[in-house]
Amino acid sequence: MGITSTYNNHFLKIAFGLGLFVILCIGGFSYKHTQDLKDSMEMVKHTYEVNLELKNLLANLKNTETSEHGFIIINDSSFIDSYNSGRIKIAENLKRINVLTKDNPEQQRNLDSLNKAIGKRLFYLSETLQSYKLGQIRSPKFISSFKLGNLKMNSIREQVQTMITYEDKILEIRQVQNKKALERTPIILYSILILTLLLLLVAYAIINRDLKVLKENNEQLNIFKESANLSEIVSKHGSWTCNIDQDVYEFSDNFYRILGEEPQSFESNIENFMKFVHKDDVQKLTTQVENMLIEKNLPFIYYRVVRKNGEIRHLKAFGELYVNNEGENNLIGTTADITDEVNNFRLIEERNEELERNNKELSAFNYVASHDLQEPLRKIQTFISRLDEKEYEKLSDSGKLYMSRIKKAASRMRLLIDDLLQFSRTNKSDNITELTDINELIEAAKQENIEAIISKKAIIYNDEMPNMMVIPFQIKQLFINLIGNALKYSKDDIPPVINITYAKVHSLEDKNLPNLTHGYYHQICVIDNGIGFEQEFAEKIFTLFSRLHSRDEYSGTGIGLSICKKIMENHKGNITAEGKLNEGSIFKIYIPS
Amino acid sequence: MQNNLINIVLADDDEDDRLFFTEAFEELKIKSNVSTYNNGVLLMEYLNKTDSILPELLFLDLNMPKKSGIECLVDIKKNARLKDMVIAIYSTSASEEDIEKTFVLGANIYIKKPNDFKKLKKALSEVVTTNWQYQTDSLNKDNFLLRL
Repeated sequence: MGITSTYNNHFLKIAFGLGLFVILCIGGFSYKHTQDLKDSMEMVKHTYEVNLELKNLLANLKNTETSEHGFIIINDSSFIDSYNSGRIKIAENLKRINVLTKDNPEQQRNLDSLNKAIGKRLFYLSETLQSYKLGQIRSPKFISSFKLGNLKMNSIREQVQTMITYEDKILEIRQVQNKKALERTPIILYSILILTLLLLLVAYAIINRDLKVLKENNEQLNIFKESANLSEIVSKHGSWTCNIDQDVYEFSDNFYRILGEEPQSFESNIENFMKFVHKDDVQKLTTQVENMLIEKNLPFIYYRVVRKNGEIRHLKAFGELYVNNEGENNLIGTTADITDEVNNFRLIEERNEELERNNKELSAFNYVASHDLQEPLRKIQTFISRLDEKEYEKLSDSGKLYMSRIKKAASRMRLLIDDLLQFSRTNKSDNITELTDINELIEAAKQENIEAIISKKAIIYNDEMPNMMVIPFQIKQLFINLIGNALKYSKDDIPPVINITYAKVHSLEDKNLPNLTHGYYHQICVIDNGIGFEQEFAEKIFTLFSRLHSRDEYSGTGIGLSICKKIMENHKGNITAEGKLNEGSIFKIYIPS
Repeated sequence: MQNNLINIVLADDDEDDRLFFTEAFEELKIKSNVSTYNNGVLLMEYLNKTDSILPELLFLDLNMPKKSGIECLVDIKKNARLKDMVIAIYSTSASEEDIEKTFVLGANIYIKKPNDFKKLKKALSEVVTTNWQYQTDSLNKDNFLLRL
């Protein structure tokens, strides 16, 4: 767009220049044409003048001749006067012709011989006049002069005719030349005119096209302005400009709306605006506006305005310098209504505080569970052990039965409390993952279960594990629970065999990772040959307190696998179970790689 | 014989625990002189007396009214006369936090109160028979919590 418009501008300039040049050309041509016409007229006039003068010369010569003849015949002195003035006129005629034909050597030569002939003729005239005055009227000298004079007169006539003919010939040649030139001129003029017209047409077309583009741009600008208006409404912000040099402000429609007013309902200046500013913020804002006018820049500022209905809105403003075409300093700024943000932030803060309170209560509860609840239980158990040791023999059979039941119930309660504590400890979110040797964690988990491993003659195989980013104590707990489960739910008749395998899988390839988009995962499987379970319970076993067996068959609180699930959630991984009744189970855990 | 008696002091607000403690020592047949205090304030009052006989072993419960075990531990470690006493923490809780804190403050061993009288006796006898002069040098965080 920019490139074409500058290109067009160039073209227009060139077209304008060419047009101007062409018009000048036309002027020049026209001037030359008229000049030529004028020259041609002059030429004609010149020829006529020369011819006229020649004819006059001839006439005067005849007059002179006639006057002399008249004097000779009548002997009247008035003829002598006419004769004399004729001679003067002839001299004048010759002089004029000389001037007129000065630039023509041919005519000058002709004139020269004419001059001589006229001289001769006049000489013969004066000879005859002389003879007459001496009275020798019929003398041979008189007669010969008279005849020679007549002959000379004829040759003079011929010479004058030659000159006239020559002059006419020149005129004719020049007229032909001029005619050609004059015929060419209109065609040239006309073509130049056509060219100019064409140029003007092209220029017009370009201007027209530019106008169209301008119109379209204008349209787009309007649309943009409208959408800017709409976006201001939606995003709750208003814009303003400030001409620093002239101290003139302009507020957008939505700027008025932010202030709770109708668009353009008051004059946009700083005084009117300041009326809306919260009284606690006026001082701060005034300073900042003053700074703005000096620094020609407005950093982010926050202030409040009070609408006429008393509603307080929180605003945020920002402005930057824009120098316009005239070199005036303008500040262009945006003011956003951030009341909702502020309110939301407050709400979040309140929620956070509430959450923090809840967390504190929870940890207080944890403390109660870990300390206060355990203490009476511990004492009950210790007293039971005292009774068992010292007074057991004194009890009746049923007393002994009750005693063992109390012991069982108390130790179950201990188990529950311990597991619950374990579960709530995995809640803590501030545990940080670190690169950990998983083999060590598995080894430690085996150690924790060492009694059961020995008593059940269990065999545990495990693949070499790579280091992983985990929360070490939680993953250790996970292995303790999984190995513990595999040992607990083993078959009575064969020793348990536990396989812990490793594989690296991609979330797209493994159906157990549908919602996890991390990419690659460490997959660790804990496979046992125990009693297994029916696949339909595969999900249920991970819920808190859920158990598949009665307490008489297998001890347990139904918390262990819930802890495992929670641990995997903490790691943004997953745990799944696959089971076959009486064949064994597979627990798969996935840790992001 | 008086010289062979081991002076043992227990500060614990719980009556039952004091009972278990003294009974355990009775049954252990260790020649010992066990005295108990109901809270931290009473304990410190006794220890701060200039003529008091300092015990070879001090068992400190953590959760006590008026003055907690931790506070007692801090005071004892600040006191030049008392700071070399062997101190065993004797608490119901075995939270990582408590263990960490008391270890850093300079306690010698951490005993989680067992829920079986036999285990209690075993724990106490282990603590009493340990040669603390030797043990103190190899004190580390791993064997700080007494395992039964």
